[in-house]
Amino acid sequence: MRTLLIGGGHSACFAANAIREIDPKGKLIIIEFTSEKVDALLRTFPFAEVIHQEIDEIENYIRSNGSIIDAVITATESDSLNLRYCRIAKENAIPLTISIINNPLNYEIFLKEEIPYIINPYHLIPIELSEILGAATNVLYESQKTRVLAVSIKISNGRLLPELMKELSQSRDVSAIFVSQSGEIKTSIEEVGLGGRLYLIGPKERIDKVLRIVKRR
Amino acid sequence: MEISVIFPTKDRECYVKRAVRTAFKVKLVREVIVVDGGSRDRTVKLAKKEGAEVIVQSDLIYPGKGVAMRDGAYLARGDILIYLDIDIKNMTPKFFEKLAEPLINGEAEFVKGCFERASGRVTELVAKPLLRMFYPEIARFKQPLSGEIAGLRKLFYKVDFERGWGVDVGLLIDLYKLGARIVERDIGYKDHDMKSLHALTDMAYEVAGAILRRAIRDWKIDIQWAEKYLKGVRTIDLGLESGAGFA
Repeated sequence: MRTLLIGGGHSACFAANAIREIDPKGKLIIIEFTSEKVDALLRTFPFAEVIHQEIDEIENYIRSNGSIIDAVITATESDSLNLRYCRIAKENAIPLTISIINNPLNYEIFLKEEIPYIINPYHLIPIELSEILGAATNVLYESQKTRVLAVSIKISNGRLLPELMKELSQSRDVSAIFVSQSGEIKTSIEEVGLGGRLYLIGPKERIDKVLRIVKRR
Repeated sequence: MEISVIFPTKDRECYVKRAVRTAFKVKLVREVIVVDGGSRDRTVKLAKKEGAEVIVQSDLIYPGKGVAMRDGAYLARGDILIYLDIDIKNMTPKFFEKLAEPLINGEAEFVKGCFERASGRVTELVAKPLLRMFYPEIARFKQPLSGEIAGLRKLFYKVDFERGWGVDVGLLIDLYKLGARIVERDIGYKDHDMKSLHALTDMAYEVAGAILRRAIRDWKIDIQWAEKYLKGVRTIDLGLESGAGFA
């Protein structure tokens, strides 16, 4: 795979290492517009080609090389630039356009622009806090690609259990694991008990239905 | 030549509609960009409704006027960028056109707006004295902290933006150092709310910081200089031990 990574800050460095792990034989091109950062990037990522381009030149680079690029990842320190380069990548029909945003408040704006994949690096903070502090429900993962959803539910209501068990026994495409209050991991729905946490993974629409039952209770 | 108008905002729902509409009436305008600092009111919604392009500034900090201005420049596609404070109550297209005129005519590459109003307290008490010390060549500007500016887009990509309130004076110094042709234009009477004295403390701190950082960068401050100038302010309690660091 030929990946174009735009940016030289923290997000871009994490992305570069991840790409190397995922696709060690692939070609990684990093574009940075601050000349001082280019040398540091070359030393840090010897496996990548690092190019210095002016802000306005990057768009031309995408246009000229669009036909041989499989993925564009925008990871600059400005969401404005990320959006700008994503638009160009989309216009040039790059198969994969991914943006790593800086401010979570821009998620909706990027979504409305139909940027196919948006990564919000901060989204793990509320998830981890919800898990540690024992929130009633917690969306652990929602795939942007496959509509798979993983959630955890606190079993704190006796009346909730029979309803949940009924729903889950009819949902063969949902996998469940239960962790009791003492930390024991159980795989059978029948073993679900009060005070523990139920982990579910399955199609989004199925899991959403379960979450609606929990919220009703 | 096309113009991009940029408004940094935060909780400005009562001004945004009029400002965006006025900006769209400006000759040669291509787009109006609102860079929001995380408003909790309807600023973003109203800006979008009026046809502005909206993005939230990249940093989570506020006030981050400089970050908002930088993000606006990065999103803009016009040849000329115009920045205006959104809370100007008597805003008309003339404000924008007066700022853009020297750029369109080729007289300048960067235009600093000034207006008929007594200069602000931070301007008179912080910015001007420091500019006179370190950058006397630009001390002639009547309002070096004015948020009403215009410039060629490509020029804004050659300088670093201060993140907060020091951005306006920082741009002025950096563009001057870069050799840009800079003029000041009177944009007329500006009706807007003045900040309280208390609210100006952070602003004064950031403005002073922006000028002093550049003075250090440009080798205008050294130990000998500090000794020479600070001898004159020894009667002020600087929180330093008596005589520490100064002969």
